[in-house]
Amino acid sequence: MPKITFIEHDNTEHTVEALAGQSLMQAAIDNSVPGILADCGGYCNCATCHCYIDDVWSARIPPAQHAELDMLSGAIEANSNSRLGCQIQLTNELDGLVVRLPVSQT
Amino acid sequence: MSHIAVPLVPVPDHVPQELVIDWDFSKPPGGEADIVSAWKRLHDGPDIVWTPYNGGHWILTRAEDIEFAQRNHDPFSMHEITLPASTTMQILPLSADPPEHADYRALINRFFAPKVIRDMEGEIRELAISLIESFKEKGHCEFMSDFAMKFPITIFMRLVNLPLTDLNDLLAWTEASVRANDPERREWSQRMLFGYLESIIRDRQKEPGADLISAIVNGTVFGRPLTEQEIRGMMVNVIFGGLDTVASTMGFAVLYLARNPAHRRQLAEHPELVGNAVEELLRMFAPSSTGRVMTRDFEYKGIRFKAGDRVYVRPLLHGMDERKFQCPMHADFARKNASQHAAFGNGPHRCAGALLARNEIRVFLEEWFRRIPDFELDPAGQISFEGGMVNCVTRVPLVWRRGAHTSTA
Repeated sequence: MPKITFIEHDNTEHTVEALAGQSLMQAAIDNSVPGILADCGGYCNCATCHCYIDDVWSARIPPAQHAELDMLSGAIEANSNSRLGCQIQLTNELDGLVVRLPVSQT
Repeated sequence: MSHIAVPLVPVPDHVPQELVIDWDFSKPPGGEADIVSAWKRLHDGPDIVWTPYNGGHWILTRAEDIEFAQRNHDPFSMHEITLPASTTMQILPLSADPPEHADYRALINRFFAPKVIRDMEGEIRELAISLIESFKEKGHCEFMSDFAMKFPITIFMRLVNLPLTDLNDLLAWTEASVRANDPERREWSQRMLFGYLESIIRDRQKEPGADLISAIVNGTVFGRPLTEQEIRGMMVNVIFGGLDTVASTMGFAVLYLARNPAHRRQLAEHPELVGNAVEELLRMFAPSSTGRVMTRDFEYKGIRFKAGDRVYVRPLLHGMDERKFQCPMHADFARKNASQHAAFGNGPHRCAGALLARNEIRVFLEEWFRRIPDFELDPAGQISFEGGMVNCVTRVPLVWRRGAHTSTA
């Protein structure tokens, strides 16, 4: 069960026990982490599960594919560390992952 | 609107007689008086019923089942979404199932992304303000023709760089394409729409722009260019996806507010509630609906669906379900689970324009309440509704005291 720490824009931290195999987005939703909207329910259609993954972790996650990159270009305050939570599948190897959340999804 | 009655179909053998009801979704009993509350009657009976109207179809009346159908395209396929079935175009992406659906959807998603909508908000707000200011001093308006019918369509036409002089025609065709339950009239309006779009499509294939229409007409799916049929299908989908739907939601919203002074006062005094109020209003009035077709025999909660059965999904019934939303017929702008409505659908087909729709409705309420915080239904006027795949309120005459409030924008 990988432990994931979500850090809101105001620095409030939420550490949750996620399930290997679920998406990062679903882990946030299941644990009521504020700051992730996930409007479309995880189909890479809405860019409201936007989050930032630091370089030290992003190297361990498969890079974003075309559909995700396309949607990220429309996310609020996207930068080079931006990812969509619904496109990241959690594994036990990601135990300790730190995820920062944007000031707003919309 | 002409209404040609489709003959009632005989009850199939696999449909138990006790589940059969007389229900025409475009003209529900009591609908003329109130198209929304007329539907609540379906919660007095079994969760899943069958009607011989409109080609014969099941109706899912409860939130849990509506969510299940929306999330499970196998077996609740969207390959047939109109009732009765349409013989002409397949609108896209709506009538595609996963996995093909994703390729069509990928062509349009980015035009409705959060950053794009946020960048449009200034323009949306200016438009709302200019429309409201145009009748504020009169002390009365017919909300649908003076505001709701003009607002979302103008925004959309600007979004796709269509000339605003074409607005009235576009509106007429889109209304007929969703409201007429006569398949011929639906198909006529779609043909008119396509005829209009033909020259625009050619132009934007010759000289592509950065807009939604250019992206569609020059788009590729599964590694190949879209066919003419697919282009037409996508154009029809994006054009009428956000017109009647948003206009009617706003119409139902002002109708409710006109009849409920405490709710009016609450929004006037607490503009910070407007965001959640939008969700609550979407929950209560969810105007859109779609059909499904079963891809295979399927047993569900004691119902034996057969391959080819048509199923009607009306998100309004989801929002009215007291099993999910306490006191569902009452607006609670602070309701915690208001945003769990199904007005935009669920799953891969969830409305691409949801953020735009929410933005339009929120901005409208914000600017309306800054200028006309207190208003009522005109007692001398007539409210009217029309049923159909999209429920519409077509007339909402309002009155208010002139000069009673100055904006504090």
